[in-house]
Amino acid sequence: MTMGVHEIEDAKLIFNFGYNGADSHPIVQRRIVRAKQKGATIICADPRVTECARIADVHMQLKGGTNIALVNAMCNVVYNEGLVDQKFIDEKTVDYDAFVEVIKKYTPEYAETICHVPAETIRKAARMYAKAPSAMILYGMGVCQFGQAVDVVKALGSLALMTGNYGKPASGIGPVRGQNNVQGACDMGALPNNYPGYQNVTKPEIQEKFEKAWGVKLSNKVGVPLTHVPQRVLEEKDPKKQLHAYYIFGEDPVQSDPDAEEVREALEKLDFVVVQDIFMNKTAEFADVILPGTSWNEHDGVYSCCDRGFQRIRKVLEPPKGVKLDWEIICEISTAMGYKMKYKNTEEIWNELIDLCPNFAGATYAKLEKYGNIQWPCRSKDDSDKGTVVLHQGKFANPDGKGKFYTADWRPPQELENEEYPLSLSTVREVGHYSVRTMTGNCRTLRNLEDEPGWIQMNPADCEKLGIKHGDLVKVVNKRGWCITRCNATERVAKGATYMTYQWWIGCCNELTIGSNLDPVSNTPEYKYCNCRVEKLDDQAKAWEYVNTEYKSIRERMGIKMVGKEAV
Amino acid sequence: MTENMSCYVLCDPNKCTGCKACELACFAEHNKENNDVAYTVGTVTIPVTPKLYLTKTEKYCMPVQCKHCEDAPCLNACKKHAIYRDENKQVIVDQSKCIGCKDCVMACPFGAISILPVSDNGAVLLQKDKECVKAASKCDLCTGIEGGPACVRVCPNEALRLVDLNEEQLAKSIATANSLYDSRLS
Repeated sequence: MTMGVHEIEDAKLIFNFGYNGADSHPIVQRRIVRAKQKGATIICADPRVTECARIADVHMQLKGGTNIALVNAMCNVVYNEGLVDQKFIDEKTVDYDAFVEVIKKYTPEYAETICHVPAETIRKAARMYAKAPSAMILYGMGVCQFGQAVDVVKALGSLALMTGNYGKPASGIGPVRGQNNVQGACDMGALPNNYPGYQNVTKPEIQEKFEKAWGVKLSNKVGVPLTHVPQRVLEEKDPKKQLHAYYIFGEDPVQSDPDAEEVREALEKLDFVVVQDIFMNKTAEFADVILPGTSWNEHDGVYSCCDRGFQRIRKVLEPPKGVKLDWEIICEISTAMGYKMKYKNTEEIWNELIDLCPNFAGATYAKLEKYGNIQWPCRSKDDSDKGTVVLHQGKFANPDGKGKFYTADWRPPQELENEEYPLSLSTVREVGHYSVRTMTGNCRTLRNLEDEPGWIQMNPADCEKLGIKHGDLVKVVNKRGWCITRCNATERVAKGATYMTYQWWIGCCNELTIGSNLDPVSNTPEYKYCNCRVEKLDDQAKAWEYVNTEYKSIRERMGIKMVGKEAV
Repeated sequence: MTENMSCYVLCDPNKCTGCKACELACFAEHNKENNDVAYTVGTVTIPVTPKLYLTKTEKYCMPVQCKHCEDAPCLNACKKHAIYRDENKQVIVDQSKCIGCKDCVMACPFGAISILPVSDNGAVLLQKDKECVKAASKCDLCTGIEGGPACVRVCPNEALRLVDLNEEQLAKSIATANSLYDSRLS
């Protein structure tokens, strides 16, 4: 994020694109609601009527998989109506002309044929955005989880560039990241191409720095992205390039990754699988070794918020006897494998890390204690450097200091609706259950609110055509797999489109999602678009029996104990 | 002057985001004493039974809860005298008298009453045929609970507020009279 999350409340205009805060991050949505109460204009682009769409001044209910056509059309309006910040463009940016060449053909009328958003609505939104004294873009997985994702991020970034919406309070562009501390995972170098602090593994001077600090030889090769794992296990013929072992830490790829059948096949084929987690999950069923980890309140550490803010977390509970802290497990495995890794506490780890990362160097534990939250870059240990709320003030992070314009032509999603599978399917979130529910599924209160087999959101007209009604169990199927779930008939979704949350074991939409269409840069899969067919189940009693038996059997396999009157 | 009017909780649907914190807080607050529900999830051994109901349509998203009607259809419909008005004029269900006949659900024009399982001592109560005991469940404004309605206290968006029209009406009457008086002078 180029801004701070707290700044959302002060925004004059929020352009909320493919981001459903009310279900994903109620605490961030609270800021959007407050901004609205304080008079902010809200533009929402989302194929569903989300809570944000409901309170928006303009809702562009676009067809799924057409993001970039809509953004290009908004840029087209801003350009053609002379609403650009020419001074900003001249002084602080490059590649404007090439960008304009691409957006020229995306007139609102042309975009309407792709996105199904009326041309006049696009014009209205573009004018509102460009004319606002300052405007903030927030986007979420509705942008990132497509085969064409990074292009859209850059196009949104360009919309902000052409209107000069950087480097000032409550402006800029903010990816509201999918999970807690996913920003931290990236900051810490849990990416195939980076050391901590976004320092590239292919750069000799960086390699040398880390080799010297750690006293070992390091590889200059980029690693394997998570989403390439099944392919590298199942299809790679060269045994040297094949993956043989997989150490999975706080993830449940069988539940969270697309095309679950393919993930299971890969895990079956791997020689050795280690899972480190706090509860059993679907992936742990394939593990050769399970290492019990500690939960967020059983260890110390630092989280990064999506706005680059470091915050301390503190242990409030002792872990169960015999359970080691996550960082202790890593140290012991490393030592057993020949690299002696030893720390006294998390502060010692943190100090080593910030000394190796210039952008984090000033964020000491002492300052985190004092200020509560420090947004990087924070380069000086001096008390006066409290971090950076607003990025790109004066100049951009590129070597030449300029903001780079970029957009691309629209590419449709890989797997479109057809006669056999006439509906589109997108994965979404719902409030109450976090991620794959490894944690919240074990929370009896939240499970009481929503439980298996989940729901498929469908337009009432589509339900009527199929002769199904709200609450009926239905079978959702495509060429990769199927699942059984309940029908949620709602006007909040458009005809022809369906939506499922991805955490259910029985109503498991990732049996259907597509694993092969990755964004070429981010390697993120196209979770937000594949085709499907919904089938009516005539024998509802039998279907419920299937759901209940299957659920019971999974719970038994996972060793989940029944407490109280659990069957209710 | 007539008697005092009862209070009720009102939602501003422009602020509600459907997070259900109100439902959970309502459940937790009402099951502290008899069912040992505390702050951690491990203490919940019974079904979650809130007394207000989050309701979503295309245009709205808000919890629906009892308005404590002055002429309460539920109270008048109840043949078991399980619904009564307390000293603060709040309409209260005595679940020990309720037989789950659903007349009150039928009578309530707002859909603010539901028939839900009844728990005690950390377990659902059962009938002879092993079906769980069910009774009418609706907002009691957290009567007797310190700090007032739990839903109002926990809402992260301050979308809920306790309305006391006795004071509000008086304040509005005074404002109206003032403005009329001022305009007459000018």
